[in-house]
Amino acid sequence: MSAPMPLEMDAVTKRFGFFTAVRDLSLTVPQGSIVGFLGPNGAGKSTSLRMALGVLSPDVGDVRLFGGPPNIETLRQVGFLPEERGLYKKMSPRAIISYFARLKGMSASDSRKRADRMLEQMGLGEFARSRVSKLSKGMSQKVQILASLAHQPDFLILDEPFSGLDPVNQQGLEDLIIEEHKRGATILFSTHVMEHAERLCDSIVMMARGRKVFDGTLNEAFGALGRAVLIGVSDGFDLDAAMSAKGFGSNELHGDHWRVSLPPGRDAQDALRAAIDSGAPITSFRPEEARLRDVFVSLVSDAEAEDLRQSLAADTAKEEAA
Amino acid sequence: MRSIYLVARRDYLGYVQAWGFWLGLLLTPILMGVGMMAPTWAAASQPTRYYTVIENGTTFADALRSEINQDRVSEARLLLDPMASMNDEESEKLATFDEAIDNGASVEDALDAAGGSQVQLPQSDFIFVDPPATTEEGIQPYLLGERQIQSENGPQTLFAAIFVPDGDGEIEYWSENITAQSLLSKVRATERTLTERRVFEEAGVSPRILQEADDRAREIAEKRARPPSAAETGSAVTLADRAPFFAAVLLAFLLWFLIFSVVNYLLMGTIEERSNKIFDSLLTSVRLPHMLAGKLLAVLAVALTLMGVWAIGAAIVANMFSGAMPADAREMMFTVVAAVAKPGLIIPAVLSFVLGYLMYGAVFLALGSLCDTIQEAQTLMTPLIVMLMVPMFMIVVAISDAESPILSVMSWIPFFTPFLLILRVPAQPPLWEVIGLLVMMVAATLLVLWLASRVYRAGAVHGAGVGDVGKWFTKFVPGKKGA
Repeated sequence: MSAPMPLEMDAVTKRFGFFTAVRDLSLTVPQGSIVGFLGPNGAGKSTSLRMALGVLSPDVGDVRLFGGPPNIETLRQVGFLPEERGLYKKMSPRAIISYFARLKGMSASDSRKRADRMLEQMGLGEFARSRVSKLSKGMSQKVQILASLAHQPDFLILDEPFSGLDPVNQQGLEDLIIEEHKRGATILFSTHVMEHAERLCDSIVMMARGRKVFDGTLNEAFGALGRAVLIGVSDGFDLDAAMSAKGFGSNELHGDHWRVSLPPGRDAQDALRAAIDSGAPITSFRPEEARLRDVFVSLVSDAEAEDLRQSLAADTAKEEAA
Repeated sequence: MRSIYLVARRDYLGYVQAWGFWLGLLLTPILMGVGMMAPTWAAASQPTRYYTVIENGTTFADALRSEINQDRVSEARLLLDPMASMNDEESEKLATFDEAIDNGASVEDALDAAGGSQVQLPQSDFIFVDPPATTEEGIQPYLLGERQIQSENGPQTLFAAIFVPDGDGEIEYWSENITAQSLLSKVRATERTLTERRVFEEAGVSPRILQEADDRAREIAEKRARPPSAAETGSAVTLADRAPFFAAVLLAFLLWFLIFSVVNYLLMGTIEERSNKIFDSLLTSVRLPHMLAGKLLAVLAVALTLMGVWAIGAAIVANMFSGAMPADAREMMFTVVAAVAKPGLIIPAVLSFVLGYLMYGAVFLALGSLCDTIQEAQTLMTPLIVMLMVPMFMIVVAISDAESPILSVMSWIPFFTPFLLILRVPAQPPLWEVIGLLVMMVAATLLVLWLASRVYRAGAVHGAGVGDVGKWFTKFVPGKKGA
């Protein structure tokens, strides 16, 4: 019998009054994976994560953490870094890390040893017994991250872990995530900074306006955007007309170059050959490097367009009913 | 249970490491001691005041001096034998003292005669001096301090002058000080006594007969009806009978004081957690009921620490001074302690204390979860503080009459029950009423805990705030619609 998935959400919906924060969300986080949970602000990421942790209950749908409902027992295997950071200002980093580790089931002596070791590793050894109120914001964030990792959880849920960190500390956190993953932890983290997801994730889930707009691997995400080549031409040559005649029908002028979309079954070589055959005065040629940011913008725009269509349809239906 | 312990431990250590805790620990007994001693100090520090009586003869002056002397006699009796004086019992010392006074001895001489020469009796508050002048114009400079009278203690300002005219004319009491009224009261009492004597004389009743009537007035013995099971205690009302009432007032005041001061820790602690955004981390580590239980336990532990330290401190001080304490005073102390330790008082008192603490503690926790700042908390706290003042007034009522009907009625209001049940228990209300009040208090506490956990969840999980409370209330305003 296979081990239960760290997280399964099945057709989950959450409403706050008349506002639907999350709509019909289904996702699975497989054991040992690093999953990026992407979306703009207000997309419903934090609400989804709070439902995953059992802090909020879904109005519709089902959430399973390690095969069961989220509760204190299953949450002992989870480390959580909330989006809204906060610590007890009068406690020391050592005491805070030890406290949360003990709440998750560690013994007092083990938790203190672990806190000392982690603080030392993160360069905070000399501040281990200082009050949190005396630490910088970055240091405090590190302490909170360590507090979520101290009990060596099987599953890490990090809500916007990189926000508020400087580039050096962001890199440090990326290293820490990779280290935790190597240890065997499954990781789900939300972010709106695509570069982190590109570097870290096996798969991504994208949210927009409370709905899931993409769920798959990075390659699948890039595939969703569609491939294209960028061709520069001189003398105001009308490449669109020339390429359309050769079967490349979707072309856009961006400054001094054209973005030529590749239809299914045609590749970059085919596009270059078609341009040369049409007599275009080519000044540059390169396949477009797809970035997750572009995929994200494209999918979010599609989702917003879909929302707009649904909204208009609803208005029309109301008018007709009236 | 482990998570309850961990939450309670963290919160407790957080509270006791704050300087405010130590300030409260040290200053409270000092300030309470100052408060309790203040009347004594005020009395002791009251300067001796000099008065004169302008009259033909010395009738009024003698009667006034006798009236003033009565206070000193009572004071001397209390100092001579506190237990017998308070229990209104006979004692050899008191009998000797009374006999000496009846024979015209001064208070100091009577004390010596009764073997109480070691008792330090403060100087009399008011001393008679011969009139320095006999007219209002002549007296006024002495009253205003422009001129001074001669006394045994050197030149002094005259405090009051009493003009007693012949016949039925009005007696005039002259003084520059219009707030100190005790001498004026004595003057009124003296005039009443003299008038009674004069009226009786005019009716042909001699002062000797009047004195005899006084002497023959029978003693009134205060007795207490007791159930047959307690018949061996006797029916006389003693200090042991009164001690439970004193103790109940003390316990009710202690509960009020702790709720008023210590429960604030819960409010502040929760505001800190909300403003520091710690709730989500906590809620994924510990169940909400366990978290609330841990928090309530932590502050209860703080309260018990304070009470424990104060009790130990009091025991040490009592032990240090027990050698110097008169045997009578020691006996009195043991009587009070024995009366308090009776199960009939201590069990309902402890239950009321715990349930009252949980009830108010839960309310404060819930309020804290809705507030980001102390300022926000103040807006919600005000009605609660006003409500908490009611039991304080009831304590004052209970001091004069523990069986007052208003106490009985108000004890059925759940928010006041913890205080008022403690106050009523020494009066031995019917058992059904005690059980009924306890059951109601348990039910009310459970209801408040349930409601508080709902409010706490709304504040901690959904971020509900003070504004949402306002919106909730607007639902009940006709014509308004809450969001």
